[in-house]
Amino acid sequence: MTVKVEVIEGGVPHDKIMIAGLVSSLVCIYLTYVNVLTQTEMFSFFGGIAAVAALIWGSNTIKVLCSYGIGTGVPSAGMMAFGSGVIAMLFATKFGILAPIVALILAAIIGAVLGYLANNVLNMKIPTMIRSLTEMSIVGALSLMGFAALTCGGFTFADLTTNVISIFGIALPSYQATFIAGGAIAVAFLLGAIAIQHPFNACLGPGWTQDRMLTLTAECGFISMVVCAIMSFALISVSSAVISLIVALIGWVFTYHQYFVLSKRDAAAWLDAKPIPDVEGH
Amino acid sequence: MESIVFGIGITALTGALATVAGAAEDTESNIGSQGDPNSQVQLAPQMGYVHRIFNKAVAGEPPAYALWCTLGAGVAWAFMAMQINPVLAIVLGCIVATFVQGVYATTAYLGRTASLAKFGQPVYIDILKSMTTVTMAHAFIAIFATVTVCHLINSALGHPFPLPLLGLVWGLALGAAGSATGNPYYGKERQYQNQKFGAGVPIAASGNIVRYAEAGERNSLDNGYFTQKFGGAASGICFGLIVFLELWRTVIFEKVGAGWGAIIVGILMILVFTIADRFIEVWARRNYGPYTKPVEEGSS
Amino acid sequence: MTAVAAKPQVGSMFNPVAMVVGTILFLILLGVMYFLGSTPAFITLIGIVIGGVLIGFGVHFVPVGGAPAAMGQAPGIATGVAMLAAGGGLAGLFGGAWAAEQGIVMATITGAIGGGLMMAITCMMVNVVYVYGMGIPAASGKVKNDPITGDSQAEYKSQGTEGHGLPFISFVGGVVGGLFAGAGGTLIYMELLDLYKGSLPTLLGASEAQILPIAVTLAGIFAIGMFLVNAVLTAYNITGTIEGPHDPKFKRWPRSIVASAAASALCGLVAILIVIMN
Repeated sequence: MTVKVEVIEGGVPHDKIMIAGLVSSLVCIYLTYVNVLTQTEMFSFFGGIAAVAALIWGSNTIKVLCSYGIGTGVPSAGMMAFGSGVIAMLFATKFGILAPIVALILAAIIGAVLGYLANNVLNMKIPTMIRSLTEMSIVGALSLMGFAALTCGGFTFADLTTNVISIFGIALPSYQATFIAGGAIAVAFLLGAIAIQHPFNACLGPGWTQDRMLTLTAECGFISMVVCAIMSFALISVSSAVISLIVALIGWVFTYHQYFVLSKRDAAAWLDAKPIPDVEGH
Repeated sequence: MESIVFGIGITALTGALATVAGAAEDTESNIGSQGDPNSQVQLAPQMGYVHRIFNKAVAGEPPAYALWCTLGAGVAWAFMAMQINPVLAIVLGCIVATFVQGVYATTAYLGRTASLAKFGQPVYIDILKSMTTVTMAHAFIAIFATVTVCHLINSALGHPFPLPLLGLVWGLALGAAGSATGNPYYGKERQYQNQKFGAGVPIAASGNIVRYAEAGERNSLDNGYFTQKFGGAASGICFGLIVFLELWRTVIFEKVGAGWGAIIVGILMILVFTIADRFIEVWARRNYGPYTKPVEEGSS
Repeated sequence: MTAVAAKPQVGSMFNPVAMVVGTILFLILLGVMYFLGSTPAFITLIGIVIGGVLIGFGVHFVPVGGAPAAMGQAPGIATGVAMLAAGGGLAGLFGGAWAAEQGIVMATITGAIGGGLMMAITCMMVNVVYVYGMGIPAASGKVKNDPITGDSQAEYKSQGTEGHGLPFISFVGGVVGGLFAGAGGTLIYMELLDLYKGSLPTLLGASEAQILPIAVTLAGIFAIGMFLVNAVLTAYNITGTIEGPHDPKFKRWPRSIVASAAASALCGLVAILIVIMN
């Protein structure tokens, strides 16, 4: 039985995006470690940039996977990515400075197993399933780690679970107002899960272009960074949080404007208060 | 005794807030045309039916509302951790969440419509300018009510989950309840208003949504008025019942019978709803009657 | 959606080799836990696997019609299956977490009732909208007579559609799905909570009351993550839409049991190793 093939083509090859996203994400997460070396929290914003880089890679992976018509829609893939990524990321935070590498390896293992189960046990038989789910799991783990570093200044288990608060001028350790105990990890989880699938879902259609989709990913990543920067006011020093917020806002405004420009370029017409045009007499 | 009365008072308040949240959620998702009915808004230009409906393709309602409510709750939690008054913190958190929702709505409309350029569907900037603020307003009501419900459950009723996690749970439940109840009403009754009432849309009519309506070209704002007539109220009742009954049976009956009280009451409630559903189903069959004569045995 | 590519037609429903490999993988993961950790940790993993399988199996019962259901063209609820099941299951988890002090059995049953109640209310309101708002009776497209009530379906199906609304078997399926999903999610949460409450005080050097928020959130976010993974795997298994337990697609459930067991074992192993390994 012959089936008409209509895969969306064009743009930078996926392998290049994967390598670029992986390398820049890891580098930026490690740049937040400078916080520890310099005993400040000013470099936390690199965590947000790491998350943006990982999300750009992830959205292209979702495009590759969902082009095969998996039958359930795009948002489920995002949930799968972050559901498996959060487990890998939380385990990896125990390993101190090696945390991003451990997250990468463990997320790859979990994603590969899930991909095998989905493709072979559930008989989905999609060519790129195992590879795509592996990549998505890594993206989930790395972007969560980036958001965590942005919000609380580091990516180790201690950073995520302890915080120093001052009561009447005395500095006391607290477990309550932290990234994990306060529940901010749930915010990062959902921010990433929606941000990774929104670009492909929103640019879906015959007129899909890659640069428009990836600009939208950057925009989604930056607005998630804005939200996490606002939350970081409670966890890191005010000046560092202000730096993160300013970087995020500049990034968001720029990519949002770019997205408008690209949409105008691709649209059939850009009308303001005009009636429905006549198309083939309908 | 006093704690039970306090608990019932809070439960009643959360039930009322949840009803408002459900109605606002369904109205917002129908003004923006989100979720499963949106597939028709996407399909229509491909079948040659160019339209002026807002094409808000931001995942489905459950994950989208899970995000807005968790976001609102998370930012509210951050402000509360900075010793800001809880009410002000919740308002600020919901403002941030609504802003993010508006941004996602605009990017979804631009993305989907630009990708339909091949079929001549234009991007209408006036729709972007007029719909976005309206959908953000309804979203704010829904998000604010839900985050307040979560805060009440966390601080007044003593649930162990932190605020953002509660926001995730109830945001997802809000989206699921509002989507399940409101989607068929919007999809069949409004998008296919020109089809016969009282029957599903035949597959052959897919894509032929109503584009010219009461006064000129149909606009998504009109869908808001339409939704509030039935779908919004139904979604509100659905989510309000879910929150109210879940909290009510726990607050009153948790101490009865070492926990078994709440379970038995829950089972009784499920049975009541099953009987009600069966009644509705039989009522429909008896009062509406079949579409055709019953198929006889032996014939195709 | 026009972005559809060619997919080779699946021959038989089950892939025996993959099922065996999946089962072996599951057993290997159990063995790793047994050797790396103590017996309580092993029992925790068994509990997590049972929870995951309950979720994966339960989601098969939930009637989901997808986009056609939103137009009255197909029976079921017009929402995505993973998200609808997650809504019901998480409402159940909410109730189960509240009953956590009463022990694992009570909490799991409470969670199950919470999920079932949410699905019952939602399914009833769906029928209210169809019957009183749209004037459409419920009819199934897959069976001639409702398996529970015996009502004939064919003549109540409008012309040109596959059915609409929620026939009684679909309603019951929805409630049963909510029961299983709520129970599964709560079981995973309770197992992890007990483990974390026991091990985090020594790990972080603080009292149990102090680390309780961390334990609750960690267990909660793991439960939600594993819930979503299992629900999406089931969504893949039924390819997006199912009418309920009477749908022929329901017969695919053995694949989902193996997949959910292996996936939950792997994720549970990692979740447990966070506090066991040092």
